[in-house]
Amino acid sequence: MASLTSSLSSLSLHSHTSSAASSSRFSLLPASKFTFSLAAARSRTLTLAVAKANPSDDIDTSFFDNVNPEEEVPFNPPEPPEGFVAPPSFDEGPMETEDEIAAAYEELYGPAYSGVSVLGNDIYVMDSKIKRDTGFGSKAKKEKVKDGFEERVVQVRRVTKVVKGGKQLRFRAVVVVGDKKGQVGVGVGKAKEVIAAVQKSAVNARRNIITVPLTKYLTFPHRADGDYGAAKVMLRPASPGTGVIAGGAVRIVLEMAGVENALGKQLGSNNALNNARATVTAVLKMKQFREVAEERGIPMEELWK
Amino acid sequence: MTKRYWNITLEEMMEAGVHFGHGTRKWNPKMAPYISTKRKGIHILNLTRTARFLSEACDLVFDAASKGKQFLIVGTKNKAADLIARAATRARCHYVNKKWLGGMLTNWYTTETRLHKFRSLRTEQKTGRINSLPKKDTAILKRQLSHLETYLGGIKYMTGLPDIVIIVDQQEEYTALRECITLGIPTICLIDTNCDPDLADISIPANDDAIASIRLILNKLVFAICEGRSSYIRNS
Repeated sequence: MASLTSSLSSLSLHSHTSSAASSSRFSLLPASKFTFSLAAARSRTLTLAVAKANPSDDIDTSFFDNVNPEEEVPFNPPEPPEGFVAPPSFDEGPMETEDEIAAAYEELYGPAYSGVSVLGNDIYVMDSKIKRDTGFGSKAKKEKVKDGFEERVVQVRRVTKVVKGGKQLRFRAVVVVGDKKGQVGVGVGKAKEVIAAVQKSAVNARRNIITVPLTKYLTFPHRADGDYGAAKVMLRPASPGTGVIAGGAVRIVLEMAGVENALGKQLGSNNALNNARATVTAVLKMKQFREVAEERGIPMEELWK
Repeated sequence: MTKRYWNITLEEMMEAGVHFGHGTRKWNPKMAPYISTKRKGIHILNLTRTARFLSEACDLVFDAASKGKQFLIVGTKNKAADLIARAATRARCHYVNKKWLGGMLTNWYTTETRLHKFRSLRTEQKTGRINSLPKKDTAILKRQLSHLETYLGGIKYMTGLPDIVIIVDQQEEYTALRECITLGIPTICLIDTNCDPDLADISIPANDDAIASIRLILNKLVFAICEGRSSYIRNS
């Protein structure tokens, strides 16, 4: 079992370089749906990353954050403008015909998915939005690293689910994704094949990215310890030239973050996934000196006394 | 956000029964600031606060509509389903009035696939190709079409994720609310005495049982959306 996992991990450590070669393996797979799901996973990251990026730039809901519900503010509506006639309720009045409704919606949104076009627009306008990969040529391009993040596999394990017929095997991959400039993410993914699991975990990792506060010498501002489950991790900054001195999962997370000099110790459990998550929590607790000085309202020199 | 006049009067709201909450046993203690008294085993909401929040919500909605944002109204209670559909068609927004499928927003990719299928079924129905197949296939396709129409009928014009979501009953639409929170979409929610006011971005304490109260609140919001839209059309 150990040899299997070690051989698998050695296979998967080079996965992102040999993935171009391994994608040719997919030609032997019968189901094209499987490849489509990979493409779906890839495109899903992009769509979801975009969807979450700027939801409320223009919409300013800040009034409701500080409202104190206890205060007795009298309700003083502004004066009605002259000649204000209360509009009829949406129930009253004649029901609009379907054509009118369709025309109004189409003016605003285009024909989208309605299948009929009252104003003469092209009803197949949404086809370009959905990415359909046809054949195997397009897939080879999608394996390359987009958006500048490097993936490193921390652990690949074979996990089983026991059913009436026997054991169902799946692979669980833990992957750390990072650019070496302070952004890291830890992700897990399970699938029946190692490479698919690595893909899924990379997608998951891209969804939970955090920023690591780095100093000029590529180390932490201060000590921190974080825990997740039974894994406790202690992180300590180090002087330049030390390198990253930490065990397995912690080392990979710090390296992918771009930290050059740090000390880390896994106190508590040795579980790779939990330790990776614990380093993430530890890093989230850290603050830059500048932020603390701003929050406390004192000059930075005071912090070093 | 400029303060506008939205024709919100306390008498109107009392007539519609907006101030009634649920029974005293089922309350959520976080709603304590918004409850004024207890009468006959039912909590009574403080209407001044409701009116204030409603006017602020209308202002926000007006601003968003005047910038051309997309809205989604979610309400799946049986009594209010028709109301939601009519309100949304009047305001030209998307709506969900039958069951909210899990992952409609977070799994938008799959929802888009279903919308594509819906679109192709509709085109087939329009061109009449649906009747040229054997009876069984026609029946299957018609059934699929009716299913998709009930669940996705209100969002068939939605090209991407909406910018603001209006939810009618928080207890009923808890999954929808959670999805919006994970995606970071601002939500306006009608809160009753058994709901949590901290979950949604903007919570309007109101009665969600009586159709009249839902009608009133939706009226104001729809009016605000229409006004915003018309100003958007005028300015662009």
